[in-house]
Amino acid sequence: MILFVVLAVLGGVLVSLSRQLNGRLALTTSALMASFWNHLIGFAALLAALLAAPALWPAALAEVPPWAWLGGPVGVLFVASGSWLILRIGATATAILVIAGQMVGGVALDLARGVARGVALDALGIALILAGVALAALRPDRRANRNPRRGKDRPDDR
Amino acid sequence: MTPAGWRLLHHGLAFLSGGLLALMLLLNGTLAAATNATFASLAAHGSGAVLALAILLALPKGPAGGPVWRAGAPAWAYLGGISGAVTVIVTALAMNSALALSGTLALGLAGQAAFAALADRLGLFGLPVRRLGWRDLAALALILAGSGLVILGGAG
Repeated sequence: MILFVVLAVLGGVLVSLSRQLNGRLALTTSALMASFWNHLIGFAALLAALLAAPALWPAALAEVPPWAWLGGPVGVLFVASGSWLILRIGATATAILVIAGQMVGGVALDLARGVARGVALDALGIALILAGVALAALRPDRRANRNPRRGKDRPDDR
Repeated sequence: MTPAGWRLLHHGLAFLSGGLLALMLLLNGTLAAATNATFASLAAHGSGAVLALAILLALPKGPAGGPVWRAGAPAWAYLGGISGAVTVIVTALAMNSALALSGTLALGLAGQAAFAALADRLGLFGLPVRRLGWRDLAALALILAGSGLVILGGAG
């Protein structure tokens, strides 16, 4: 059991690590270029895994709904946006805001698909999440407040 | 735009990209249910690489005269894709244990936030050191606690 707990935590650490590495790559290339390398090298690694374990090649693909193949294109945009944002707001803020959007988006998708959920837990959970989002996103600008004579528009912060 | 305006925009975009992630997980999860997690991730990485390449080649040429494939990044910065590929495998293993989807998801979110906080604090991987104040930590705690409740809401 301890092993699976470690694996589950490791899964999250690797998500964060991946975003940091892609952010570093985007720093000297571009966010889209980082997303391209992420997908190409991930593809090569997974291809090696499937060649090593041929039983994982699916026997038939007729059961797959056509829209289920669109995860790759959505992933390109997701990885590019994460590589761009981590350079601007840091790893922690990117991680917690993405988690917040993932949770709220997941509930919305479940509701849209008619999946049964615990309404009270969802409502309380989303309230806490949105409070956290507001706390992170709506920070008063201390520098501007301390130095009211300096210009309010500071393009150096983008 | 003011710094507070940029901050709101960037955080808003990060929140929206999380919604995109939820959609991606639904799409890849559906493909994985009809095949398996490793094949689904292979297909998503392959189609993503082709699409990203097509966009890079179609973009108008900038001052560098085309896409900058490699520029000043250390070799390890190209390993984000390996990290992502291993994620799929360890997560699939954990999900098939007693942790199930909800336990795996909750522990993964905690691991992700903790490692991000460590990376900011130490300035890991060539990214700047960022000190986390009480607002950052309170936002992290609120979002993780709320996520725990939402995960319970989905498991029940």
